[in-house]
Amino acid sequence: MSKYALIWAIAIVSAQVSFTGNTETRIGESSNGFYYNENLINTNLQYGAFTNWIQLEYSDPPELGRRINGVRKLRLEYENGPVTLKFGDLYEIWGRGLVLNSVDDQPIDRDTGIRGISALYTTEFFTGQFITGRADISQSTIYALDYNTRTHNYHLNYNLYGLAMNQQFGNHEFGASFLQSLEQHPVNTFPVDTLEVKNQLTSINYSVTQPSFDFYTEYIMNQSLTFSENRWERYKDGRGLYSNLNLYLKLFSLNLEYINYHFGDFDPFSRWNMVDNYGYYQPYQNPPIAMHIHENVLMNRISHQTDFNNEVGFKAEFMGSLAENIEFLAIFAQSNRTHTWLMNEDYTWQKQEQLSFFPSFDPAAMPFKDFYGELTFNLLQNNLYLKLGYADSKDITDLLQNTLTDTSQTLTYSIASAKTFPLNISYTLGNGWSVDAKLELQWLQKGYWWFEKRNNVVVADSLMSIFLDDEGKRVDHEKNSFISLSIGKSPKWSVTLTTDQASIKEEFGDKESILNPLEKLLGVDQEKNWVNVEFVYHLTSSMRLSLMYGSLKGGLLCTNGVCRIIEPFDDGFKLGLTTVF
Amino acid sequence: MQLFKRFVLVAAFITVTYADKQRDIMLPDLSIKLLDGKQVRLSVLLEEGPLLVSFWATWCAPCKKEMIFLEEFHQKYNENSFRVLAISTDSPKSMSKVKSYIRAKKHTFLVGIDPNQDIAKKMNALLMPTTLILNKDRKVSWYHQGFIPGDEKEIEAQIRAVLDLDQEKAGE
Repeated sequence: MSKYALIWAIAIVSAQVSFTGNTETRIGESSNGFYYNENLINTNLQYGAFTNWIQLEYSDPPELGRRINGVRKLRLEYENGPVTLKFGDLYEIWGRGLVLNSVDDQPIDRDTGIRGISALYTTEFFTGQFITGRADISQSTIYALDYNTRTHNYHLNYNLYGLAMNQQFGNHEFGASFLQSLEQHPVNTFPVDTLEVKNQLTSINYSVTQPSFDFYTEYIMNQSLTFSENRWERYKDGRGLYSNLNLYLKLFSLNLEYINYHFGDFDPFSRWNMVDNYGYYQPYQNPPIAMHIHENVLMNRISHQTDFNNEVGFKAEFMGSLAENIEFLAIFAQSNRTHTWLMNEDYTWQKQEQLSFFPSFDPAAMPFKDFYGELTFNLLQNNLYLKLGYADSKDITDLLQNTLTDTSQTLTYSIASAKTFPLNISYTLGNGWSVDAKLELQWLQKGYWWFEKRNNVVVADSLMSIFLDDEGKRVDHEKNSFISLSIGKSPKWSVTLTTDQASIKEEFGDKESILNPLEKLLGVDQEKNWVNVEFVYHLTSSMRLSLMYGSLKGGLLCTNGVCRIIEPFDDGFKLGLTTVF
Repeated sequence: MQLFKRFVLVAAFITVTYADKQRDIMLPDLSIKLLDGKQVRLSVLLEEGPLLVSFWATWCAPCKKEMIFLEEFHQKYNENSFRVLAISTDSPKSMSKVKSYIRAKKHTFLVGIDPNQDIAKKMNALLMPTTLILNKDRKVSWYHQGFIPGDEKEIEAQIRAVLDLDQEKAGE
C-alpha cells in the first residue's frame, strides 16, 4: 500500500514540478603549462511556492580559484504573497550597494556571497529584509604569504546580521539599513594571529522620481570595534556618500554620479594593504564607482582601480541623438583621494588639509580623469552599424615622494595615461551572412613623473617612461593595437580572428612567449603579438560551442572597479560548451 | 578520475536528454522589478500575449546592437499583443545609467532590472545577450545566446512563429 502511495506522491509532485537548468564546460590548455577544466551544472527546481537552486562544480583545476568537486552553491526559497524566505547561498543588494552588495563575479573569482537566511516582506509601498549568515571571502594580496595570480591567498570570514527597510510615499522613497558583522581578521604577525573586529554599517537613502528627472542619494556611517581585554573598544569611524541625478530632456539625457567614500585614510605606500588595515571598507559592500566601464579591450586593460576606502569623484554622462540614425555619447569622469599627502623630514607620510567635496587634479591626491566620446551610426536600414570613439585618460596610480621645504619641492609619482581610438563596423549581408570588424589603436604612456623645484626654479618636470625598445632605449609611448575580424552566418556560426599587438616587448614573470602557427602564418613578432582564432557554433538554439586556438595577452582584468592580474595564455586551445535544459 | 567520468556522463545525459527540448520548459511565475519601480509577475506580463525577454547590460555592445531590432519588433508586432521585455543585469555600479540610456535611445519596450542576476539565473541566461521567447503559457518557445548581425532575421521568424502569423498568411 505504501509503495502505491509513494508512486502516487511522485506522480503528483513530478506533474507540478518545473525543472530547468544549464551546464557550462570550459577546458583550456596552453603550451606554457596553463591548464584548466571547469564544469558547472545549475539546476532550478520549482514546486508550488518552493524554488531550489543548486550549483554543482567539478573543476580540476578551475581557470581561477581553488578546485571544487561537489555542491558549490545551494539555495531554497519559499514565496507566499508578500513573504519570501531564502535559505542557503544569498546574493543580496541593499540600495546601491553601499552597505551590502554580495556578488559572485566568476571572471575575476570574486565571491562575497553569504550562506544564511533571508526573510523579505514586500508590499506595493514597503520592503523590509532581515538577513543573517556567514560570509567566507577570499582575496589576492601581495601583503600576505603565497601570492600568485591564480588562487587567492588571503581569507576572511564574517558572521553577520542586518535589517533593511524602504517605504514609498508617492514619488518619494525613503530607506534605512543596518548591518553588523563579526570578522575574524588574520594579521601579519609571527606566529600568525587573528583579530576579532566588529563592523557596524548604518545607512539612510532617499530617492525621487519625476517624468523629467530622478534623483537618488545614500549616506553610510561605518563604525568598527576591536576586542581586547574582554571588551569591545571603539576603533575607527568612516562614512560614505553616493548621489545620482538623471535629467531627461527632449533630445538627450544627462546622468550625473557623485561619490565621496571616506572609510579610512592610508598613506600612499599602504593603501592597498588589506591585511594590516582592518575595520574600514568591507568586501561585501561593493558600492558604485564614478567612472565609465569601457567596452573596448585596450581601455579596459588600464582601468582605474577605485580606492573604496578613500575616494571622491564624479561622472557626467551625456547621451542622445544628433539625427534619426546618429547617436552620441560623451562622458567625463574625475576622482582622487580625499586628501593630499606630504612627506615630513623623516620621510613619513602626513595627511594634508581636507580637500573640497569636489575632486581636483593635484598629483599629491593621486587623481584620475577620463574622457570618452562616441558617435554611433545605424545606416542602410540598420544593416550597417558604425561606431567611432575617442578616449583620453590619465591616472596617477602611486605617489612615491612629496617633500616640501622653504626652498625646495620634490614630487615623484607613477602615472598611466592613454589616448585610444576604438572603431567598430558591422554589415549584414543577405541570407544571414554578416561581417564585423573592430579596430582599437592606443598610445599609452607609463612611467614615473619627476618634478623638482629649488629656489623657485624648476629643475625637473618630466616623465621617465618604463618602456624600452629592442635596443634598450627609453621610448615615450607604447603603441597598442587590437584588431578583430569576424564573419558569421546567423543563427548558426561565426569565426573571429583577433590580433593584439604592442610596440614594446612585455614580460610576464619568467614565462617565455611561444610562436604559434597563426603568428608564423601572419609573419608577426611573437613577443609583441597575440593572435587567436575563435569559432562559435550553435549546435541547437540552446547549445553553444566555442573553440579558440592561439594566444591571449594577459594583464589587468577589471570588472566594476575591482581588478585582478590574469596570466597570458600562450599557444593553446580553449573550449567552451554551454547548454540549457 | 572516477568522479570526473561520472560527472561527464551525467552532464552528457542531461545535455542529450534535455538540451533540445527547450520548447517544453515552463518557467516559474517570477516576480520582475520594472524600471519604474513596480514589481510584476511573469504571468501578468503574459496575459496580453507572447513576450520576448532579452537580458542585457549597458556595458554589452552586442546587446545594444540587438536592442535596435527589439524596439522595431516591439512596435511592429504590438498590435498582435506581442511585447518585448529587456531585463538589465547592470549591477549597482552601472545601474544609474540604465534609465538614462533607455530614455536617450527612446526605447518604448518594457525594461526590467535584475542587479543580482537572480532572474537571469532562473531563466538560464548564461551570456549577454540571451534572448527567450515565451508563449502565453510561460513556456519557452525559443532560446538564443549571443547576437551576431543577421540574428534579427531569426528573431523575427521566431516571433512570427509564436504569433502564428505565417500560418494565418498561408491560410488566407
